[in-house]
Amino acid sequence: MTSQRPMGYMGRILRVDLTRGTIRTEDLPEEPVLRRYVGGDALAAYMVLRELPVTTKPFDPESIVAMLTGPLTGTGFTPGGAKISAAFLSPMTGNTLGLSNTAGYWGVELKQAGYDGLVITGASPRPVYLLITEKAVSLEDASKFWGQGTRASETLLREAVGLKDARVAVIGPAGENLVRSGMLLNDYGHNAAHGVGGIFGSKKLKAIVVHGTARPPIHDRKELIAAGDRWRQAVLVTKRTPATKRTVGHGREWGAVNKLNWRSSVIEAADTRGFDEDRITLRPCFQCSVLAPWTVEIGEGPHKGTLLQFNGGSEVMDAFYNLGIKGNDVLYLWGRINDVGIECAHFSCGAGVAFEAYEKGLLTKDQTGGLELTWGSVDAVERLLDITARREGWLGELMAQGPLEVAQAIGGEAPNWAVHVKGGVPAMHDWRPLMGEMLCQLTASGAMKPQSGGLMNPPPDLAYREKWGPLDPRAPEGWASQHLVTEQYRHFMGVVGGCWHAQNAAKPDGLKSIVDSLNATTGWDFTLDESLDAGHRAILLRSLFDAQRGWSAEDDWKRVGPRFLEPVPDGKHQGFTIARYLPEIIQEYYKLSGRHEASGRPFLATLHRLGLEEFAHHSHEHYEEGRLRGR
Amino acid sequence: MADKLPFPTARLNGGEKKAISYDSSACIGCRQCVIACQDWNDLPRAGRYALSATTWITMEPPLANGTSPLWGRNSCRHCDYPMCATVCPVEAITKYEEGPVVIDQDLCIGCQYCVHACPWGVISTHPESGKSYKCTMCAGRVSEDLKPFCVHMCPTGALDFGARTEVEARVEARAKEVEGYVHGRREAGGTQVLYVLTQTLEGHALRSVAPDRYPLAKIPLALILKGPFSLSLGIKAKFRAIKSALIHPGRLKYRYWPWRKPES
Repeated sequence: MTSQRPMGYMGRILRVDLTRGTIRTEDLPEEPVLRRYVGGDALAAYMVLRELPVTTKPFDPESIVAMLTGPLTGTGFTPGGAKISAAFLSPMTGNTLGLSNTAGYWGVELKQAGYDGLVITGASPRPVYLLITEKAVSLEDASKFWGQGTRASETLLREAVGLKDARVAVIGPAGENLVRSGMLLNDYGHNAAHGVGGIFGSKKLKAIVVHGTARPPIHDRKELIAAGDRWRQAVLVTKRTPATKRTVGHGREWGAVNKLNWRSSVIEAADTRGFDEDRITLRPCFQCSVLAPWTVEIGEGPHKGTLLQFNGGSEVMDAFYNLGIKGNDVLYLWGRINDVGIECAHFSCGAGVAFEAYEKGLLTKDQTGGLELTWGSVDAVERLLDITARREGWLGELMAQGPLEVAQAIGGEAPNWAVHVKGGVPAMHDWRPLMGEMLCQLTASGAMKPQSGGLMNPPPDLAYREKWGPLDPRAPEGWASQHLVTEQYRHFMGVVGGCWHAQNAAKPDGLKSIVDSLNATTGWDFTLDESLDAGHRAILLRSLFDAQRGWSAEDDWKRVGPRFLEPVPDGKHQGFTIARYLPEIIQEYYKLSGRHEASGRPFLATLHRLGLEEFAHHSHEHYEEGRLRGR
Repeated sequence: MADKLPFPTARLNGGEKKAISYDSSACIGCRQCVIACQDWNDLPRAGRYALSATTWITMEPPLANGTSPLWGRNSCRHCDYPMCATVCPVEAITKYEEGPVVIDQDLCIGCQYCVHACPWGVISTHPESGKSYKCTMCAGRVSEDLKPFCVHMCPTGALDFGARTEVEARVEARAKEVEGYVHGRREAGGTQVLYVLTQTLEGHALRSVAPDRYPLAKIPLALILKGPFSLSLGIKAKFRAIKSALIHPGRLKYRYWPWRKPES
């Protein structure tokens, strides 16, 4: 090995300055930095934290998007090694770290082209797309693709570059029109959320097309294959089937889905109406055995024959259940929202307020541009998607901003009906009956976050160090600790380039096999403790970034849409709310993670323990000192 | 008996006949087998949609992910009576008793006879070296009692591997279960890749091959003339071919005699 770097990496990243139209290849950081941050969301966050000026706004040309794979991305011998993570300043909140992850094949292809990731800065004067192959990297004119939906764009771009194997990540009209929750779509159904598509739009970057045939170097292939086999065993029970796609499995798991702007949570037979008629094919990500993504050909009703491709995320189903849509209409609209490229939760929470206001007479047809916002109207939802993506009219403009802005503009009681977190949104499920998940969503930076999961006892692999549980889902004790550990091992997946769907901590060897896969790939000797520390660093980087921009831990329970903290309205968990344990449960979580319970900033000792001394000047102690001096 | 066969044979380990099975009703066309094959054999991850010197399996039809309701696996069938090995003038292709038909690229002279003789059309020529490449049934793994890597990595269990007799029983049972049929048992005299299909061969985008052994080789006349009458493939190759012809004159008819009848 000639490089200073461990195996598993291609060793290079691309730096693209769209203002100047320049493309530069840079070396990936050396071993000490990689051992600390590994890759993926932590390395991306590290780069953005170091480079992004505090005064920059999300859509300024100076705004930065860092996209990084991890060492397990694209090795080919493990499940789940398909992720690429993006870090940027969130357009949804304006002051927190945007983090988005996407799987499928695109991130793998980038690595195959010879790059571990890329950093995008500046803004192009005209629409462009980035073409990356093993031989060359170039910016190409995208004017003829501008305005096209993501699906058509992907097909057309692949044809335009003449490479049938090329992989495409592309924004739709929403991203182009700077909708704050604009998404970046790849491989048809996969998406990077949290508004990264809006930032692409502000930079006039329509797409990134990649093609490559190389594979990352591997330290010990035999060991990796063996560890990958163990990993595959651990996720065997989570393997999807077409039957699982015909149900509301996620809702049945904890007994709640979103209905009528979070005013009901009961699953009805009509929710899956027509699913039995559909032709469903599982459509796995790169070499993954979990088979979460899927393709459906609608088999009945007005959209019969429509072919749609989705990733594993069932959030989009809840997004439309929340507006009264049922059955195959939900799947049809799932295809539409992907095509315009809007994050489902951001759309649904905004639309939910608008629909409720229309029902209660606070919103009239004059204000909606003639739209009749009646629950369950496919036409109304489809039209609303279009006007949001194009920022058309009073309502479209507000929807493009977010649920908080919609509620405030409607006025009256409407702000009480909004679900938001720090101006962003939780992932779209009715998490309210679940203590750990609520803790997760409230402490997130205003969008998707590694989901907490509901293990009532420590994962078997961590039984040597974690003693909490069995937890009571209706009592606060132990959940802060559970959430912190869960968040650490979920983030560990983010840093190695793995997918949470392909992590099953509940099984013996469910975590150890992943750590061993990392070691076999890189040549490192990570322990489980060290892997949790790597996840912990990712958590702290976000706090440091957010705190620099005015966030404090108090925002986690104070800047929250009231409805998100209302008791569960009906169903088997009726009456339950985490609100009765706030803020104590969140404060306990911050304390356990080595951060101050009010400022949310890490303590100096925490930064030292984890080797993050270079950020000592953003510690809680330095912040306090400055505050006192200022006073 | 092996001596009577018109192609080189050898044994990997115990000599027990093995087979790969492919269940089209369980296949989702994800092409994980295609990548697994490239990864195990350290081939570039290129060209997922067409067989080549670096892509030894394809899933037909060559449509992007998820858009076909029906799939067919296209790769070497590891025939019991491999025409590729029979026509090879330098004995570069060996039929192992366990099943694999393997091209030794160190011996291959790039004459392309095998490419044209293969009734399945699954042998490719390397664009630079001119040598022939195809699936090896992971002979190295099979010799260690491991499954071929494509089978190992299939996420749906559509691919399976084992003793030929057991695999045959399994595919028969499965074919009944899905109201399909077994393909590959008799074609070209029998193959060691057995298919459970539910539609016509055409529906699965697969080739139809008669049950006869040693089907007529369709080697272009130009190649036939180029082989014996020129030195374009090198002097060493010429000597090896002559040596082989002298030792096994009975094999020449499979290469050169156009009026030969396939054997039933």
